[in-house]
Amino acid sequence: MIDVSDLSPPTDWPASGPLMLTDGGVAVLNLQAQIDGLEGHGTSAEAATLIDLLILRGLILGRISDYERAAQLADRLVHHADTDAAAYVARARTRALFHRFTEALDDLDHADRISAQNRASRRERAAILQALGHYHEALVTYEAAADRGAQFERTAALAGFWAERGKTDIAQRFYLQSLSSYRGVSPFPLAQLDFQLGIMWMRHERLNQARTCFEAAIRRVPAYAAAQGHLAEVDADLGEREAAIARLTPLASSSDDPDYAAQLARILGEMGRSEESVAWRRMAASRYDQLIATYPAAFADHAAEFWLGVGNDPQKGLRLAEFNLRGRQTHRAYDLLAQALDANAARAASARCFGAHLDRRAAIQS
Amino acid sequence: MSDHFSGPRALVDPTADISDVYAFPAPENPQQLILVMDVFGKAGPSAVFSDAVIYRFRIRPVDIIATGPEAAFAPSKSEITFDCTFDVPSGPAGGARPVQHGRCVTPSGRTISFRTDDESGGMDDGVQVFAGQRSDPFFLDVRMIEKTVATGKLSFRPKGSDTLYGTNILAIVIKLEWRKILEGGPLFAVVCETLAAGKRPVRIERVGRPEIKNVSLSWKMFDPVNKDLEIRDLYNSEDAFEVKTDYFDAYRVRMNANLAFYDGLDGKIDWPFDRYGNHPLTKLLLADFLVVDASKRFAETSYFEIERSMLAGRTHATPGGRWLNQDFMDFVFTLYVNGGNGPPINDGIDGPIAWSSKTFPYLAPPNPAKAAAA
Repeated sequence: MIDVSDLSPPTDWPASGPLMLTDGGVAVLNLQAQIDGLEGHGTSAEAATLIDLLILRGLILGRISDYERAAQLADRLVHHADTDAAAYVARARTRALFHRFTEALDDLDHADRISAQNRASRRERAAILQALGHYHEALVTYEAAADRGAQFERTAALAGFWAERGKTDIAQRFYLQSLSSYRGVSPFPLAQLDFQLGIMWMRHERLNQARTCFEAAIRRVPAYAAAQGHLAEVDADLGEREAAIARLTPLASSSDDPDYAAQLARILGEMGRSEESVAWRRMAASRYDQLIATYPAAFADHAAEFWLGVGNDPQKGLRLAEFNLRGRQTHRAYDLLAQALDANAARAASARCFGAHLDRRAAIQS
Repeated sequence: MSDHFSGPRALVDPTADISDVYAFPAPENPQQLILVMDVFGKAGPSAVFSDAVIYRFRIRPVDIIATGPEAAFAPSKSEITFDCTFDVPSGPAGGARPVQHGRCVTPSGRTISFRTDDESGGMDDGVQVFAGQRSDPFFLDVRMIEKTVATGKLSFRPKGSDTLYGTNILAIVIKLEWRKILEGGPLFAVVCETLAAGKRPVRIERVGRPEIKNVSLSWKMFDPVNKDLEIRDLYNSEDAFEVKTDYFDAYRVRMNANLAFYDGLDGKIDWPFDRYGNHPLTKLLLADFLVVDASKRFAETSYFEIERSMLAGRTHATPGGRWLNQDFMDFVFTLYVNGGNGPPINDGIDGPIAWSSKTFPYLAPPNPAKAAAA
């Protein structure tokens, strides 16, 4: 079990790292250059690297199409290199992205049979166990995956783990440890850490802390779509709706992830700009339906949130929340189901109330 | 690959991943010494240098202190450096490459400014600097090397497939009047490094000789001690001129094991271990700096000639160092497998997509984006 007693509490928030990082714009240019350079040829190790890079770009720029391409490449890689453990780990990673956790774990089992001491496989397994809500096993697996000399990877994984569990003190301590052990110049790993902590604070409704973390992530990588999107959400919740709209509009227009259009529709609706809200809502609804048809497990939770909110179809939201819970029994999945049940109960109460009103009207008219 | 993708950190920070280092007398002028550092193997068209990395050339005078089986170098404690740094580029216009400005601080403290991809580069006080995207001069067939290692049998085909065909790198080229700029000599040891900039810069990668980390150190399975250790990040973090005694044995054992594997590929032992249990090349290769004799005239195939002469107890005849067009993989496999006691080993790749020229900045212009895929 992790001993956190020897970690110092955070003194400065958000802490800055000791080293310079590559400018976020340069890093995105070079990520593109890495992908372009590896496309179309190369060894199986390079193909596995390309898959990782596509996943990273998908994560940073909010591009589901990159995840899809990574998944296609991973299938092809396993087909051509079926004795290579790295190929199965790469495919497990892409399957986990689309929440195909059982198949992802099968791939990791396969990788482990080929190469028993595979740390990449262990790290991926820990992340999947965490996503499935098997927290104790995840924690043990993260420790087993720890590599000599890879202090940053270990502490960053644990910062993310405890952030998701909502243990803010522990998460912050690991975050600080991660910063102090980071020896690279890429801004992506630190921006992702900032983002994870921002999400943690959002869930605790500590919006100012969340804003600080999202802003830190965006300072490191201005194009970080998810950080921009969540910062907009925080802005809106703090009453700065125009700023939120300015932040979300380009994202909603360019991204193939409907979350941004959904957020924009919600905020515009709350501001009474219903015509614009409806247009973005339609766009989001159409895209969620497409994604649910193709990748139901991956997008059930986000689509459920949409239908329970601005999408205004609580029954659809409930179906998706139930489906999501069947796939993984996390705290968030239970919360989402509870929210869906409440929304449907409220609608049922409203319907009953409306029915009583009709009864009264009928009685008066008779 | 030469030093491309040489460890997990290199993959995360491609702009800090040194793929090759070259040092050679200028073909057109023996008074000038050329130093080349390539980074970012398989760089796509948008690749630029990091604004957070110091690209450092380190040069020390070096003496030969022993020849024969105990052959060894002794680098001087005095050192000069060239530090190159880069700005955040201005945006690309109409799909063109981003324009990036850089500067090189010379040993005298002067700063030479230049714009990337400008073939004239910047010039001042006997030093000329170029930086920009160029064709990767290295060539090899990685799949057949992997197959060789996996099967224990030389697997090169008469006509191989160049893993780096049509790919590009980012290059920094320095031309200097060596008698004016450098101290001592004419034998110099050259190491290139990338460092994370900051109050206390941290070394990310260092390269002297080619194919030390990948061909010579990366394979774990022959290592009798550290079978699960990815040794390259650790090796990269070391000062090439002051390797820590704490880890030296880990490198030594790994190198011995891998060199012994290569030596056995032709079914005979050409490199019997010495009385200390070391392969005869281990000590020289772990002196991981490129040794060049600036007083000798340019030669096409001179890598390791100084070291081979030392081992044979004779005076070297070439500048050593390393020229851009040498078929390195044929050389290194011949050296490792039969030590020159057998037929030359050919990996089936005899040249890159474009040869380097003998005029500044030497490396061929970048390949079009689709050349590699074709």
